[in-house]
Amino acid sequence: MRVVVAEDLFLLRNGLVRLLEAHGFEIAAAVDSAPDLLQALLQDEPDVAIIDVRLPPTFTDDGLRAALEARRAVPGLPVLVLSQYVEQLYARELLAGDAGAVGYLLKDRVFNDDQFVDAVRSVASGGTVMDSEVVAKLLGRRSREETLARLSAREREVLELMAEGRSNSAIAQRLFITEKAVSKHSTSIFAKLDLVPSDDDNRRVLAVLAYLNG
Amino acid sequence: MTKWLVFLLAAGLAAGCLASARLDGGGDEQAKTRRGRLRALGLGVALLVIAVCVIRFLRAQSRPVAHARGSSFALSATSSSSATLWLVLAILAAGVLVALRWRRALWIVSAALMAAAGYGFVRARDYGNAALYNTVFHAAQPMAVAIPRIVNTAGRAPSPAHRLALSVTLKHATVGFSLPVLSSVVPANNVMSYLVLPLTYAALLLGGWLAWRALDGRSAAVRLVVGKMAEAKKQGRHWGILLLPAAIVTAELLAPNIWFGPGAANIGWTVALVGGTLLLIRRWPVVAAWLATAGLAALGLAGLYLAGSWDSGRWPLPLTPDGSVFYGAVDVSSHAMIYPATVQAVALIALACWLVPRTMPATLRLLGTGSQAELATRVRRLAESRAAAADTAAADLRRLERDLHDGAQARLIALGMNLRAVERLIPTKPEAALALVAEARETSARALTELRELVRGVHPPVLADRGLADAVRALALDCPLRVETDIDLPGRPPAPVETACYFAVAEILTNAAKHSGAREAKVAVSHAEGMLRIAVTDFGVGGADPANGTGLAGVERRLATFDGILAVSSPVGGPSIVVLEVPCALSSPKISSC
Repeated sequence: MRVVVAEDLFLLRNGLVRLLEAHGFEIAAAVDSAPDLLQALLQDEPDVAIIDVRLPPTFTDDGLRAALEARRAVPGLPVLVLSQYVEQLYARELLAGDAGAVGYLLKDRVFNDDQFVDAVRSVASGGTVMDSEVVAKLLGRRSREETLARLSAREREVLELMAEGRSNSAIAQRLFITEKAVSKHSTSIFAKLDLVPSDDDNRRVLAVLAYLNG
Repeated sequence: MTKWLVFLLAAGLAAGCLASARLDGGGDEQAKTRRGRLRALGLGVALLVIAVCVIRFLRAQSRPVAHARGSSFALSATSSSSATLWLVLAILAAGVLVALRWRRALWIVSAALMAAAGYGFVRARDYGNAALYNTVFHAAQPMAVAIPRIVNTAGRAPSPAHRLALSVTLKHATVGFSLPVLSSVVPANNVMSYLVLPLTYAALLLGGWLAWRALDGRSAAVRLVVGKMAEAKKQGRHWGILLLPAAIVTAELLAPNIWFGPGAANIGWTVALVGGTLLLIRRWPVVAAWLATAGLAALGLAGLYLAGSWDSGRWPLPLTPDGSVFYGAVDVSSHAMIYPATVQAVALIALACWLVPRTMPATLRLLGTGSQAELATRVRRLAESRAAAADTAAADLRRLERDLHDGAQARLIALGMNLRAVERLIPTKPEAALALVAEARETSARALTELRELVRGVHPPVLADRGLADAVRALALDCPLRVETDIDLPGRPPAPVETACYFAVAEILTNAAKHSGAREAKVAVSHAEGMLRIAVTDFGVGGADPANGTGLAGVERRLATFDGILAVSSPVGGPSIVVLEVPCALSSPKISSC
């Protein structure tokens, strides 16, 4: 699987490259600025790109803007955006267009390399991965509403993990319950939130995120 | 003639008594008291005087012979019974009017006074025919003394002083009623005739004042005018109204043959002058106040020159047909009149001097230069806001230091110690070392979280990345309330203003989420005429008071550094609206980001 890495800090870039190589990824390009990133994304056609939000030349949100521009040129181009902080505003912009194949994670998540690599693979295969902090804020914002209040505590936990983009098996593992129980909960959640149920994992995540964002 | 005088006095008293008797059992609350009865009596007398004046005027108009003699009391000069009939009718009408509609009677008196004043201006030009207007104006004179005392008693507790004042009022009313009768036997061009212009002005003022009293607190128009006056006074622009008398007196002085005379052209000129002046006062009150001050000073100086040059005949401006000069309330027609003219001139100059410090600050503001006092205020405000800004900055730094010391720094120390322990454990107890490594990773994650929160508190990354517009949108998304945003910013404000405004909105939204009980809020951001304006509205319970919480006061202090202001409107029951305005310019046009 070919990966483009964009990160301006040398130590972090090297760390990422080493981590990815250790897990069997092929590094198509490792760049340190937004213009280089855009070029790499459009020329190298990687299977997935891992991008820091803050990049030269302006050291603001150049990385994010390059990613969005590349996705406008190549719809559905898988990008996993990393940042020191997460903003719902940026999450919305990444999710806009309903194309999937996006991820938005705190840099801290790199510490748990297994989960991080899972997230990279999920995005590469068209999935959607949201940082738990984004999901927590979304849920916090809607927590006063009646529809969410109807969910049981366990259903809320499942909803949270679903919104982060985890598969049924990952959720089951995390909550120490069976996959069957997870699918039962998810059916119940969709019914309570008036959402159209879907077997496609990615459709499901997008539906939940769209609901929470709404 | 004495017979008629006695008759009239008796009739007037009878009318007043009739009125008070009627009012005693009547519906008007104010009229039930002794004061009310006395006032009714006074009003009745005033109405009677007006009626007599009107009758005399009409008769004089219809009988030029009597008019030419100008020295006989009209009623006594006729033997016809129709005059007596008219008089009786007038007495009855006055009595009935006062009894049933005393407020309307007040109106009639005030209107009569103002009409008399207008007539006085006209007649003053034709000085030779003084008899007629003498009648009118000398009738106004006693009323000038009596009516205010009568009306003034309204709404106050009765006291011995009051009773005294009322008895004086009665006497004045009695004497005043006889005065026009007496003055009509005095030939024109005597010393009384010098009082024409002063009486005209007095009648005008008194009529206006009475009309004001009659309206007092009852009419929406009065409340509107009072409100406007109070507003203008607060802003120091109300002195502009003095331009009107200044302009009238100046016009009188410059062209006595044109102004205030009969005829379409003269009326046209007068209307144009008054209308133009009123327009100026309304549209440019500051300029009007300045012009009024300058005009009064100039009029005063002109008066002094007039007094000095009268005897030598060097007065350069045109005279009236009688060879006199209208100088405000003084008609300078002989050497003796230069003394009152001088007094008036000095009074005008004194008034102008008194006005200078009251009108000049506004004028100087208009010209763009600040007065000393204004500069002092500004300096004090700047010193205060600078001290507050320095305090805030110092407090922020202290907080930052403490947070770093207790948070990330402490965790890094723990991390280092853990790693050292791991070093030692690896050869002997690798399992324990592994547990410690996991702990170290946990610690570093926590340190990162804390640093992230710290950075957000110092300068939110989204503000640095995208500017105020998107930062406010991000705030709206992070807020537990459902926040609608309406942002219209064509560029970016200066960075310090952006930061202050961001934290202000954050604080207000946090307050709204915590205390208002609202589910929805709205943030509007706009920039117009060099002013950044942010309005945050929540549809909660209201009752927010900036004096109570330290949060809003802190926001206010922070904004004051940039000459910004904060206004809170939060009636109990909501909605709460917090508006902040900061003067600033916007930099480069917004770069569109998706």
